[in-house]
Amino acid sequence: MATRARIVRMEEPAETGGNALLVLVGLSVTFLLIVALLGAAKAGASLFSESNLLYVALIFYAAAGALYMGFGVTGMTRYVKFASTATAIGLVANTLAVAHRWYLSGRPPFASIYEMLLSFVWTVALLTLIAEKKFGVKIIGSITMPLAVVCVILMQLLPSEVRPLVPALQSTWLHVHVTLAMLAYAACAVSFALAMMFLIKDNFKTETFLALTSATVSAIYIAILATRFEKWGGLSVTAWDARDKSDMFIGRGMRLFVTVPDLGWLFVISALAAIAPLALYLVSRAQKDGSLYGIANKAVFVSILLQIVVLAAFALRVRDASYPSPDQDGLFPTSLAASPFLLGGLVTGIFASLLYLMLLWRRTDLQGLLPSADTLDRVTYKTICIAFPLLTFMIATGAYWANRTWGSYWSWDPKETWAAITWLVYAGYLHMRITRGWRGRRAAYFAILGFGVVIFTFLGVTYLLPGLHAYA
Amino acid sequence: MASSLLSIPKRIHKTLSNLRTGVVLLILVGAASALGTFILQRPATDPDKFARAYSPATLLWLDRFGFTDIFHAWWFMTLLGLVSLSIILVSIDRFPNAWRFYARPYRKTDSHFRSAIQNKIELPITNAEAGLNAAERALKKSGWPVERIADRSEPSLFSERHRFSVMAVYIVHASLLLIFAGAIIDGVFGFSGFMALQKGQTSNSIQMRTGGTKQLPFSLKCYGAGQENYADGSPKRWWSKLTVVQDGHEVESKEIVVNDPLVHQGLRFYQASFGMTGNLDGVKVVATAESGASREITLAMNEPLDLDANTSVTLAEYIPDFFVRDDQVFKRSDDPVNPAFRLQVKNEATGEDAKLWLFPAYNQSAEGEKTNYNFEYRDMQMGYYTGLEVSHEPGQWLVWSGVLLMGAGLFVAFYLVHMRVWVTAIPDPRGKLVLWVGGQSNKNRDRFEQKFNELVDNIRTELESASVIPHLAKREQAELTLAGVK
Repeated sequence: MATRARIVRMEEPAETGGNALLVLVGLSVTFLLIVALLGAAKAGASLFSESNLLYVALIFYAAAGALYMGFGVTGMTRYVKFASTATAIGLVANTLAVAHRWYLSGRPPFASIYEMLLSFVWTVALLTLIAEKKFGVKIIGSITMPLAVVCVILMQLLPSEVRPLVPALQSTWLHVHVTLAMLAYAACAVSFALAMMFLIKDNFKTETFLALTSATVSAIYIAILATRFEKWGGLSVTAWDARDKSDMFIGRGMRLFVTVPDLGWLFVISALAAIAPLALYLVSRAQKDGSLYGIANKAVFVSILLQIVVLAAFALRVRDASYPSPDQDGLFPTSLAASPFLLGGLVTGIFASLLYLMLLWRRTDLQGLLPSADTLDRVTYKTICIAFPLLTFMIATGAYWANRTWGSYWSWDPKETWAAITWLVYAGYLHMRITRGWRGRRAAYFAILGFGVVIFTFLGVTYLLPGLHAYA
Repeated sequence: MASSLLSIPKRIHKTLSNLRTGVVLLILVGAASALGTFILQRPATDPDKFARAYSPATLLWLDRFGFTDIFHAWWFMTLLGLVSLSIILVSIDRFPNAWRFYARPYRKTDSHFRSAIQNKIELPITNAEAGLNAAERALKKSGWPVERIADRSEPSLFSERHRFSVMAVYIVHASLLLIFAGAIIDGVFGFSGFMALQKGQTSNSIQMRTGGTKQLPFSLKCYGAGQENYADGSPKRWWSKLTVVQDGHEVESKEIVVNDPLVHQGLRFYQASFGMTGNLDGVKVVATAESGASREITLAMNEPLDLDANTSVTLAEYIPDFFVRDDQVFKRSDDPVNPAFRLQVKNEATGEDAKLWLFPAYNQSAEGEKTNYNFEYRDMQMGYYTGLEVSHEPGQWLVWSGVLLMGAGLFVAFYLVHMRVWVTAIPDPRGKLVLWVGGQSNKNRDRFEQKFNELVDNIRTELESASVIPHLAKREQAELTLAGVK
C-alpha cells in the first residue's frame, strides 16, 4: 500500500515532466539522424556505408543509454521499454554495418582492433536483448549500453580502413579463435552487469556504491595525471601524423608527445572533485555522521559537471591543433584519434557517475524491475558457466593456431599470459562457488573482478604491453 | 589431535592437499605471470632496450631474482610443480569417496534419509504393489530408467541419470595434468631453431634458438621461394617449395606458406621470413645483333652465354654501388643503389674480348669497347633466402589430448546433472499407506525441482488410472493440503 501511494505521489508532478524528457530524447535522435543524413547526402557518399550505419547504431545505443537515464530521473517504466526498442534498432544498424564491412573486405570483421570492437559491441547488444527477454533482467542495458557507447566512440577514433590480411592472419583458425573470444568476452561483460544488478537488489549500501564509483573515477584521473601531467600544468598527448594516420614516432617504439598548456590543471581540478565524494564518505564513516553523506551526493553532481567540462575542453583543444613538444623543436599537430583511451577513460568516468546518480534517485524502482537476488546470483553463475568453456577453447584454439603459424603453442606472450590469468580468475570463481559454497556478495565481487581482468586482457595488453599478438 | 603429533611428511601432505594452499599457489602463479608481462623479459627483448628501461643497479637485482626471465626461472617452475602436486594430492584425497559414491549408489532409503531429502512428497495409496507399479510406469514414460529394489519388508524403486557427472571434476583436473605433462616433455625434449635456404641450396643443419647448431637426420632442399605483395606493397604471401632429401632420395615435397608448415619425422618447418642475401642472382639484358635481331637473355655471374656460333657474353663483375675515378670503376658501398655490371663479349672468330659497362642509373645501353652486339639493361634479380623456423615438440599431442579431455570434462561438469529419484511404499506417521517419492540432483536445483514436480504429476495420473488412490474424507484431504503435502 505504501509503495503504491508513493508512486502515485511521484507520478503526478512528474507526469508532464516525464513525458517531456521522452519527447526530448526522441527529438534528439531524429535531429541527429537528419543531420547525419544531410551530411552524407552533401558529401555525396552512399547512405548505407558502413561508417554511416555505425553512426546510426551509435545514435540508438546512446539513445538507449539516455532513456535508461530518463528512467533514473522520472521513474517511469515506459522509458525502460523504449530503451529496449532503441537497443534493438541499434543492433539492426550494427548488423548492417558488420554485413557491409564483411561484403567489402570479403571476410568477417576480425583483423584489427577496430573490427574486434565492432564484433564485440554487436555481441554485447545481442546478449543484452537476450538477457532482457530470456532472464527477465530488463534493466541490464543500463550498464551494457554505456559500455557499447564507449566502444563505438573509441571506434570512431581508431583507423578503420579495410586492410588486406597479413600472411599470419590468413587462416580459418582466425574465425574460430576470434569468434570464441568475442562470445567469451561478451558473456563475461553480461556476467559483470548481472553481478552489479545483484548488488543493487541485494541492498548493497548506496553509500558504498558512492565510494566505489568515486574511487573508480578518481583512479582514472590519477592514472591520466600520473602519466601525462607536465611541469607548469600542461597535459602531454601523443602527436598525430595526419598523412600516415598514425601516432608520430621519434624512434623505434618511442612516441612523440606534445604538451597542451593548462589542460593539466583542469584535470587536477576534476580529479579533486572526483576524490571529494570518496573523502566525504570516509570522513562520514569515521565520524559516524550521516549528514556528510548528503553533501557527498551533491559533490558527485559537481564532479559530473566538471568531468563534462574537462571532456569538452579536452576534445576542443586536442581535436585539430598544434602544440610544442619537449623533445623536439617546432609545433606538432595532434588529434583525438591519437588518444582514444584517454577519451575512453573520460567518457567511462562520466557514465559511471551518471549510473550512480540513477541508482541514488531510483533505487527502489530499479529493485522493483529486477528478479530476486537469488535468481540474479544463479543467472550470474550460469552466465559464467557459459563463459568459462568459451574462454578455455579460445585459449586452446589460439594455442593451436600459434603452433601452426609460429611453431610454438605457448610463448608467454603478454596477451597469452593475461588470457591465462583471466582463465585462472574465472576458474577461481567456479572453485569458490562449487567447493566453498561462496554465494551472493562474495561471488558477485569475484565476477566483477573477473571482468576487470577481461578488460585489461582485451584492451590494456594491446595498448600498454606490445608483443607478438600485435594485431588486436 | 594436536598437529605437532603428525609426522613431517603427513604435515606436508596435509598442507599441500588443502584447498587454501591451492588457491594461494594459483594467486602466486597469476601474480608472477603478470609481473612477467610488465617487466621486460630477456628472451623476447633486445639488450639495448634493457639499458634504456632500467638502471644498472635495478637490472642487477632483477636479473638476480630471475625477474627478467620469469617464465624459465627455477622458482616459477617450482610453483607450477607445486600446483600440479596440489592437484594430484587433492584428487587422491577426494577420489576414494567419489568413487565409493559412484560405484555403490545409494539405492534404498531409510527414514533418516527420507527426512533429509528436500524434494519429496507422500501420495496416499491403497495397495503397495499396485502403487509401485504405477510409479514405475510413470517413470518409464518420462524417460527415467527404473530399478526394482527387492526387499520383502520395504519394496522400492530407484531411478537415476548421469551418475558419471560426479567424476567430471576429476576428468577436468586430470586433463590439466596431461597438459602440464605435455609442456614438461616439450620443455625437456623439444627444441626449436632456424634454417635459411637459398634457391637450389640443400642443408641439414639448423641454428638452435638456444645457441649452437644441430644436424638433422635428413636434408631439406629449396627449389624456389617468393613473396607476393598486395597492391599497396604490403606482403600478401610468402611461399617456399621444399623437398626432403633422405639418403640421396627425394622423399617428400611441399610448397609451404605461413600457417601451413612441412612436417617430417616429427620436425616442423614453418615459413617464417623471406629476405635478400645481397648477392646478385642475375641481370636481364636485351642483346641486339647488328642484323637487328634482338633477344632477351639473363646473365648469371661468370656464366658465359652463347649469342651465336662465335660470340658469347659473360657477366664478369657486379658492383652494387659504383663511382668512377680516373676512368676506373670502383665500389663505393654494398647497398645496391647504383649498380654497375661489366660484360665481356668474346668473339671466337675475331679473337676479341671486349669489355662493356652497364650503368642502369645513367644509361640503358651498355657502353665500352665496340662489339657486334648492343646490350640494353632490363632488370636485375637479387638473390634471396627463405627463412624457416624449425621446431620439434614431442609433447604437443599430450597437450591437445588434454585440451579435448578438458572440453569433455567441462561439458560433463556443467551440462550433465546427476539426478536420483526414490519411490517406496511405507506407512506414514499416522499408519496410512503412502507412496513416498523423493528426488535429488547435484546441481541446477531449480530446474530439477521443475522436473521432479512434472514426474510427481505423471505418477499421480498413473495412480488415478490404476485406481490406487483411496477415497479420503474431505477433512483429511484438507489437513493433508495444509500440512504442505501437495
